[in-house]
Amino acid sequence: MPITSEQITGLTADLYEWAIKKIPEDTKAALAGAAAVESNDTGRQTLRIMMKSADAAETSGGLVCSDIGIPTYSIKIGTRVQFDGPVRQAIVDGLARVMARSDPPLLKMVTNPLTHERGHAGKDMPIVSFDLIDDADYLDITCAPKAMGTGRWEAAENFVYPTLQQIEDYVLDVVLRSGSQACPPIVVGVGIGGTFDHAARIAKEAVLRPFGLENPEPILAAMEQRLLKAVNQLGFGPMGTGGDTTAMAVHINHSASHGFVPVAVALNCWINRRTRARIYGDGRVERIE
Amino acid sequence: MKHLQLPLSRADVEGLELGEMVLVSGRVTMSIGLPTHQRMVEWLDAGTPLPVDLRDGAFMHLSCYNREREDGQGHEALYLNPTTSTRYNAHMPRLIEGCGLRLVGGKAGLDRASVEAMQRQGCVYLSFLGGGCTLLSRAIRSVASVHWPEYIAQFRLLTLEMNGLGPATVAIDAHGNSLYENLARQAQQRVQQARHPVGTPD
Repeated sequence: MPITSEQITGLTADLYEWAIKKIPEDTKAALAGAAAVESNDTGRQTLRIMMKSADAAETSGGLVCSDIGIPTYSIKIGTRVQFDGPVRQAIVDGLARVMARSDPPLLKMVTNPLTHERGHAGKDMPIVSFDLIDDADYLDITCAPKAMGTGRWEAAENFVYPTLQQIEDYVLDVVLRSGSQACPPIVVGVGIGGTFDHAARIAKEAVLRPFGLENPEPILAAMEQRLLKAVNQLGFGPMGTGGDTTAMAVHINHSASHGFVPVAVALNCWINRRTRARIYGDGRVERIE
Repeated sequence: MKHLQLPLSRADVEGLELGEMVLVSGRVTMSIGLPTHQRMVEWLDAGTPLPVDLRDGAFMHLSCYNREREDGQGHEALYLNPTTSTRYNAHMPRLIEGCGLRLVGGKAGLDRASVEAMQRQGCVYLSFLGGGCTLLSRAIRSVASVHWPEYIAQFRLLTLEMNGLGPATVAIDAHGNSLYENLARQAQQRVQQARHPVGTPD
């Protein structure tokens, strides 16, 4: 059975709405875990206020953050999926639907970079990346509304045959620059290798990885542990007003590269907006997170 | 937790310490518009009184959805949330002293020039929770005034009557101390130790 445009529109609208009203379960658990061990009084109180804020939004159907960011979707298409009607336009329509139905209305955050005019839509909005999953009969959609209070601190650089130490030093430098600004505790996503744009993309995918999954590459699993420990020694703490909890996770992806190796560092703020669902060929919708 | 009732005196804010948590009640003025900040500075420089008297008051980087009420009975504010204050660094020293502010706030702090202006003026910076929209909005009581409605909602110069806005952390005090500067300095010192040489045991 083909997946219809209406199914895609409905789900992309729902995913966005869920993302701005509820923080992921793994993120709630990470905040609670951090609050139990945070040694700084201000940091511990701030973590508790964060949990209270997330709970208040979820139970009342309100927003966690009024900065709804710019809309991004990552879509993986099973190669056995058939479509009935437009796909790209259906996603654009989904975004328009959530903006139209939100009550109270959402603030205008999408900004024309040439004129600074703001709206709920704009050129190339939402930002959508597509990938394929061989043999699957479903469409896998992740929605991550991206507020740029963290985004402005993300960075990428090209290295020449970098050592692991150089890569780790660079990641720490980026986190150091973001300091108190990026609404910590943050999630740090690192992309190593590929081309410049590809490194940024896999860094973003690393940010969106659920917490607690072991990196299958042992070199990176060890690097993730070292970097998380190092970031949390910096002392910026929750909301950047001091404490042991500056990051909830460091996730690293890599791709084969050239001798010149791009390294990208993507960041997410404490509310870690991320929702994901699948539409199957039989019409079933499965919400994954 | 201290409960600050606006307007505030210099002595009121001089007693606040870094890291202390507070609630704020009374009239709080806000805008997150860069054009709004520019216009405020231009009016101050031209000697034109701002549409709201901010002396001994609060001006915050809070992003608020507000609109005309459907029944035509004035204006309503539906929710608010802080934004990053550092992008207004260039304008804040002039506004802090020119308006005679006692409280500024938002998230992520202000730079040294603002810290010094706050010390001269007798003013503190409050860090609100980014991602605190639903929680913080519970403090909204009513709209006291809305100016410059030609801007989009969150850019307008909006004054709300608040009851217990917060909790917020005193992150820059009235004596020239900034938690942000202290933490950045500490992080610079710690980063050398934090760098974990690859291949060495934990």
